Amino acid sequence: MSAETVESGTGPAPRKGVSILFGLTLLGLLLFLWLLLGLATNSFWTPNNISNLLRQGAMTAILAVGQTFVIITAGIDLSVGAVVGFTSVIVAWLLAAGVPLWIAIILTLAFGVLIGAFHAFGIVRMGLPPFIITLATLTSLRGIGLLITNGSTISITNEAFTNFSRADFLGVPSLFWMVIVVAIPAYVFLHLSRFGRYLFAVGSNSEAARLSGVNVHRTIYLAYILSSTCAAFVGLLLASRIGIGNATQAEGWELQAIASSVIGGTSLFGAVGSVHGPLLGAFILATINNGANLLNVNSFWQRIITGVLIIVIVYFDQLRRRGAR
Amino acid sequence: MPGLDEVSDIKSDGLRTAARHPVPKGEPILEMRALQKKYGAVEALKPASITFLSGEVHAIVGENGAGKSTLIKLLTGVIRRTSGEIYWCGKPVQLDNPQEAIARGINAVHQEVVLCPHLSVAANMFLGDEINSAGLMRKRAMTEAAQSVLDDLGFNLPAAATLGSLTIGQQQLVATARAAMRGTQFLIFDEPTAYLTRQESAQLFRLIRRLQGEGVTIVYISHRMEEVFELADRVSVLRDGTHVGTRKIGETNDAELITLMINRTIEQIYHKEHFQAGETILETRGLSGPGFEDVSLTVRAGEIVGLYGLIGAGRSEFALGLYGRHAATAGEVYWQGRKVNIANERKAMDLGIALAPESRRDQGLCLNLPIGLNINLPIFSRLTRGLTINRLKEIENADRQIRDLKIKTPSRRVLASAMSGGNQQKIVIGKWLSHGAKLFIFDEPTVGVDVGTKAEIYRLFARLLENGAGIILISSYLPEVYELSDRLHVFRRGRLVASHDYRAASHEEVLTQAIGV
Repeated sequence: MSAETVESGTGPAPRKGVSILFGLTLLGLLLFLWLLLGLATNSFWTPNNISNLLRQGAMTAILAVGQTFVIITAGIDLSVGAVVGFTSVIVAWLLAAGVPLWIAIILTLAFGVLIGAFHAFGIVRMGLPPFIITLATLTSLRGIGLLITNGSTISITNEAFTNFSRADFLGVPSLFWMVIVVAIPAYVFLHLSRFGRYLFAVGSNSEAARLSGVNVHRTIYLAYILSSTCAAFVGLLLASRIGIGNATQAEGWELQAIASSVIGGTSLFGAVGSVHGPLLGAFILATINNGANLLNVNSFWQRIITGVLIIVIVYFDQLRRRGAR
Repeated sequence: MPGLDEVSDIKSDGLRTAARHPVPKGEPILEMRALQKKYGAVEALKPASITFLSGEVHAIVGENGAGKSTLIKLLTGVIRRTSGEIYWCGKPVQLDNPQEAIARGINAVHQEVVLCPHLSVAANMFLGDEINSAGLMRKRAMTEAAQSVLDDLGFNLPAAATLGSLTIGQQQLVATARAAMRGTQFLIFDEPTAYLTRQESAQLFRLIRRLQGEGVTIVYISHRMEEVFELADRVSVLRDGTHVGTRKIGETNDAELITLMINRTIEQIYHKEHFQAGETILETRGLSGPGFEDVSLTVRAGEIVGLYGLIGAGRSEFALGLYGRHAATAGEVYWQGRKVNIANERKAMDLGIALAPESRRDQGLCLNLPIGLNINLPIFSRLTRGLTINRLKEIENADRQIRDLKIKTPSRRVLASAMSGGNQQKIVIGKWLSHGAKLFIFDEPTVGVDVGTKAEIYRLFARLLENGAGIILISSYLPEVYELSDRLHVFRRGRLVASHDYRAASHEEVLTQAIGV
């Protein structure tokens, strides 16, 4: 933040143009990777693998969109992975208890809302840093989930529910459709509605936003509730995909989500971000994992490649921002 | 590459002994020859040739956007020049990074203090140049050394205190002391008195004269003419990126400098129109809150109510209290005759109160967001139709404010941080013109704002009054509140201590009441 504000030189960058341009370069990178893998392997461009790739990327993508709302307010949500695991337990538990499917889904999402509200409460009312409050729920939600299941897993017998993640619609995996179902309202919310503008304003300077009549507390509640609800939604999708509820699932997904968001051009200092960026970021990460599998690259190397990629992409993004200044 | 070998020599010598290049007093120490800076197609500084003489105080004046900050950045190595040459002690030099500038003894004291608020005064003064023994910092030695420097300079400041606990003015003095103790040859002050009280300014001026006495060349950038005439030996004027002239101080006057700066005469700046005062808009009775106590005043339509006092006298706190930022602890507020409870900012805005706060940077603007978003921030709920914002209206309003207020920007999408102080103030004002209000509170509206923009802001006041609004004007700059206020209230230590009608008291009287001697 301070580096941003100290440099008050002339020759500024029109933000909108930069955002679109960056989106295009990311899209270019993604297409380039696909092209490269298509040439390097025989199996990449098979319907089976593409479906698989879209399924792999879908859940991170949804988490990353929710995460981005929070990061734009200059916060962070470390709990999303734990929320995914926890809500997978909740939905499995509700279904096992004989609760009708649609009520189980609504209740699970409501848990997401509650968790997000709790985070915002901690930040706004108790004055805790976002990092701390979400770190606390990161560990305790896994604990609660393990208590509920007594350390084991709950299997899901509801076939309608488990079949959903394997189904296709118009030849595209239903999990990927869920990305679109989340991304379109998210885009409208962030880029077209006033609440999106408020997220940016709060992330840039919450005092100025407050003095301009923005309800800062409400905006923070909104951001964390959206993030946790996205995570709860992913919890549903994961439970459907693996057919069980298990609190230890989705370990480290919060870091995947943050990485996708940052690769997608979101600034951890707040006030910079978009919806399309993290989506592309998530699918770039998914492509690298997928490609590495196809190329028989050691999975340990995948982690290293991902780390290097984060550094390279964010470094070039900053170079470009500075150059535009 | 000329000059580079010399740099390595300097670096090997270490910092404090560096750059003692004896240039006799009155000889050129730093020469700019056709120095130019372009950002893309924009020429921030047109080829300018200015010579700075050793041991002089050289003032640089100009409106915001005239190229002063570009000039500072070029001379301190923060940015690279596009063309032209810089000669230091008669030799051409690169000056393309801050380390080189510092190694040569060129330092700058910025308007906004760029030090670490969480560290102690002493730690800040020694930052990057700590006293070590066997790899460990010698904290006590540094504190003692810093204290002796501060005492020696006549600043009444504790070296062990945390920097952030001092006022901005005191922090500025620390920044100056820091520069003074590093073998500085050439010291640039960028509007140093913008946030200083009179006593602090006086201390700073003594320090500047003293440094000058020791042979240091001072470049002094300011909007305040009286300071320029008090301190400077010579003055250079910039306008729209062009160096329009350099004068010896004895051979020029306010009027000539201002004409050079803005092509406008001095009478046109303080623009006061008197209107028939209308109904009472706001009345406070014994209002108290954090930082102010027992304040009773009224504001009527068509009048400017000035609040004068030293920084920290409680004027801004009163404004924030009135605006609902902090809850009042006692007293009553009447809005158009009706008793109201302003519980939060939104309530104040809905009543019709607008606040342009004291600090544009901390309270006024979202600096890393576009101008357009800043301007529309208070009115997004009004621009929303259904779920989404009406883009056309959003764009139209931003563009209208930019046009009406003559904000100098190529587009509403430019970030607010890229604007000069004057233009930033206009964005804050544009925000409230968009929203509309019955009572406008302007807290230090012209700090860091150039003369031309000041005149525009004052003219805007008249327009607001004409439309039936009332204005509360808070300022630490006496001529401003004095010339513009229909009624002038003086604050001291959180209390309203005196009130005067338009020009009813003398400057001295008002000042005495504010200081309380």
